[in-house]
Amino acid sequence: MSELWEAFLQAIQLIVTLNSEVVEIALRSLAISATAVVLASLVCIPAGGLIHFRNFQGKRVLINIIQTFYSLPTVCIGLFVFIFISRAGPLGELGLMFTPAAVVIGQMVLITPILMGLTISALSGVDKAIKDSALSSGATEFQAIWTIIKEARFAVVAAFIMGFGRAISEVGAAIILGGNIRGYTRVLTTAISLETQKGELVLALALGIILIALALIINVIVNLALQRY
Amino acid sequence: MTLLKTAQLGYGADCKTFLRNITFEVERAEVFALIGPTGAGKTTLLRLLNLLDTPTSGKIYFNGQDTAKSTQLRLHIRRRMAMVFQKPVVFNSSVYENIAYPLKVRGCGRKEIQTRVEEMLQITDLKGYEKRRARTLSGGEAQRVALARAMIARPELLLLDEPTANLDPVSVSKIEEVLANTIREQKTTVIMATHDMSQGQRLADMIGVLMNGEILQIGSPSEIFCSPSNKEVAEFVGVENILSGIISQKDGALVTINVDGATIEAISEFAVGDKIYVIIRPEDITFTLAKETSSARNVFQGEIARMTTVGQLVRIEADCGFLLLGVVTKRSAEELNLNLGKKIYASFKATAVHVIK
Amino acid sequence: MRKINYYLLTILVLLSLLISFAGCVPASKDEGVSTTAFPVVTAKERFKIATTTSLYDTGLWYYLEPMFEKKYNVEMDIVYAGTGIALEYGRRGDVHAVVVHDRAAEDKFIADGYGINRRYFAYNFFIIAGPPSDPAGIKDMSPEDAFKKLAEEGKKNPDKVKFVSRGDNSGTHSKEKLIWSKAGLKYEDVQRSGPWYIEAGKGMGPCLLMANEQGSYILADISTFLAYKGKLDLVPLVEKGEIFLNVYAAMAINPDKISTAKLQMANNFINWLISDEIQKIIGTYGVAEYGRSLFYPTAGGGCKLPGCPTVDEYSKPVQ
Repeated sequence: MSELWEAFLQAIQLIVTLNSEVVEIALRSLAISATAVVLASLVCIPAGGLIHFRNFQGKRVLINIIQTFYSLPTVCIGLFVFIFISRAGPLGELGLMFTPAAVVIGQMVLITPILMGLTISALSGVDKAIKDSALSSGATEFQAIWTIIKEARFAVVAAFIMGFGRAISEVGAAIILGGNIRGYTRVLTTAISLETQKGELVLALALGIILIALALIINVIVNLALQRY
Repeated sequence: MTLLKTAQLGYGADCKTFLRNITFEVERAEVFALIGPTGAGKTTLLRLLNLLDTPTSGKIYFNGQDTAKSTQLRLHIRRRMAMVFQKPVVFNSSVYENIAYPLKVRGCGRKEIQTRVEEMLQITDLKGYEKRRARTLSGGEAQRVALARAMIARPELLLLDEPTANLDPVSVSKIEEVLANTIREQKTTVIMATHDMSQGQRLADMIGVLMNGEILQIGSPSEIFCSPSNKEVAEFVGVENILSGIISQKDGALVTINVDGATIEAISEFAVGDKIYVIIRPEDITFTLAKETSSARNVFQGEIARMTTVGQLVRIEADCGFLLLGVVTKRSAEELNLNLGKKIYASFKATAVHVIK
Repeated sequence: MRKINYYLLTILVLLSLLISFAGCVPASKDEGVSTTAFPVVTAKERFKIATTTSLYDTGLWYYLEPMFEKKYNVEMDIVYAGTGIALEYGRRGDVHAVVVHDRAAEDKFIADGYGINRRYFAYNFFIIAGPPSDPAGIKDMSPEDAFKKLAEEGKKNPDKVKFVSRGDNSGTHSKEKLIWSKAGLKYEDVQRSGPWYIEAGKGMGPCLLMANEQGSYILADISTFLAYKGKLDLVPLVEKGEIFLNVYAAMAINPDKISTAKLQMANNFINWLISDEIQKIIGTYGVAEYGRSLFYPTAGGGCKLPGCPTVDEYSKPVQ
């Protein structure tokens, strides 16, 4: 228990003194996960919209598959992406292995099912009459879909936050794809893992506290921004 | 000039047919009321006319153009119409944004939007509501927002699906007033669904009766209410005296009908042996205390079975072997000293009898 | 429509702020390793190596990395991997050089055409460490006898006598398997012989910590053991034996086999490792902190046991 208190104190000290390595790792975690969320949502929100609004054979099955993938183990994702982006793999030419971009890709794969599935859920929660009113008011199909997404914006943003949370807290993909390279691909979670293995428990806990604090801050900011609109 | 025309329009889904063989026309600046009981298909029909759903058979023509031609055309035509739904539907944003929506999707400029939204707020008596969250409004207020949103783009055709169905009387009258003013000023064509008969009678130029997915009769309000073309329509519009009988004799246009043993004379085209219904408006029945000679060909003796006072009128149900409902003024009832059980004579002219199949 | 642009704009601005801010973070004071949080375009070339865990856990690379980066103006990416996976990365072309310590595996790697220009640059010795009470009574035995005794006692008393194995195809793991076979035991039998034998699947440092936790015996290289001494209650019990020789080799990935290999920089790296300057540094690394150097440099021919590298293998510069 004393370790927790020590860890808390160390976390404060690391933050207040703006320890450069910790700051660098924290910013990198944020940057990588934020990028993963933004890029993934560019694909997932329209895709979720399309799946929700179009009726087609096997729609139920597809949604079930998406929901099953919510619980994909991160190591499996890491392995799967590794096989693709390793130089020996089909995307080898891009030289992505052991780069921050690789971690972004891994996290994107991880959160895509979540973003898509939750977007579909969010859209289902919107009254059908909204779409009718939108179309009736002269909206094109695309404009109507965008209006519905805006109606569901709270639920959609909740999906973002969930995706971000999952991305920033995963370790399996980040280690396999990034290699935990100091100064290049080390993020909070992989640093915590390393420090734990080295036996530096207090430092590991401190980093953990910082990670949670970061997630909290992001959450608050996003919700505030949402209230405005 | 016909604005909207349908030809054998039909709609079905999941092995059920909701509409069949719908054919009618609506002229420009006409107010056309669609009346019918709940479940008749009024909403389904309006949705087809608003091009929200695609008919499974038949065609819709707007200003002479076949609406099924292309999606682009459908969009353009839809932009010349507007619809107000039964349940007030507002977007989760401010009142201003709700009303501005149709202009925004059409790409109008900010200045123009501002002018027109203010205009609509004025017309629908919603000045001051601009920044309110539309979801926090009462039903009546929300429906006015929906109405403003429908009218802001100056639609040529306005579709209304029982817009005042769930509202309080004050809201109802406010909305009817707005509608009446706009229709008059903009010469908007209106197709309105309602199950409120009096609303239909008051506001409409033409009425279509929709029952069980089919149009049973189209005509002016007086035609529908005085001369319903068949029993279902008659029952729906509240015609009171509907008696079944068989034509026993025919002499030119004059027929004799056998009703429960009694005979009624009427003017009709139907032939001897035809099973028909006889319709008599309560206002056309005269009650006398004694049998009198008059031009009325149908005179029946009976007993007053029921009397109900409705305002200045008294409804009298007389049992003449069959039930006849008539209506007299309160004063007449008092002067004649009418009360339950009293023997009276009910009479009506042959020309007042409406025969339908 | 204006609303979407506003959202996107905010996100883009935030992101670019993050990136540019992160790029301005000063280099960490302690190690002098240059860092960028999310470099989108790197000015410098990136040179990737996979290194055995025992070298990494001693902190030797932390020490050497900035020197190499500065001299050759390159960003060195060091991936922590047991010999097994390190060679796999090499085969797949995900790294440009590997640093490992398993001669048999290295020979195969070279024979298959993936590795070239192998040079040995450092060596040390393994030890068997264990709990101070030494319940199995193996102190000062020969490595082979000690292993035999451990297996016997372990089977009898799995609560008292335990052994933590790397279990990850690393160089250390290969050495361990070699000792088992020299002790006359089949490795598959050892693996299956009871709960006393613990396959950890972790790097050297983490395994030491685990052995410490469990009060168990472990085969470890002396350098990593010393580096972790402050955290361990374990003591060295068996330190002498020719079989304990542990030689570290660096190899370049062969551009003939892997098109993306960086032979020039890999050669720079290897030559740098065997250069006099660095050999001297390797020889003194750890003295200040641990009282003795953690590694022996190969330069000067100090290694005289069978299995030691030849002169060419440790001092001839590569092309």
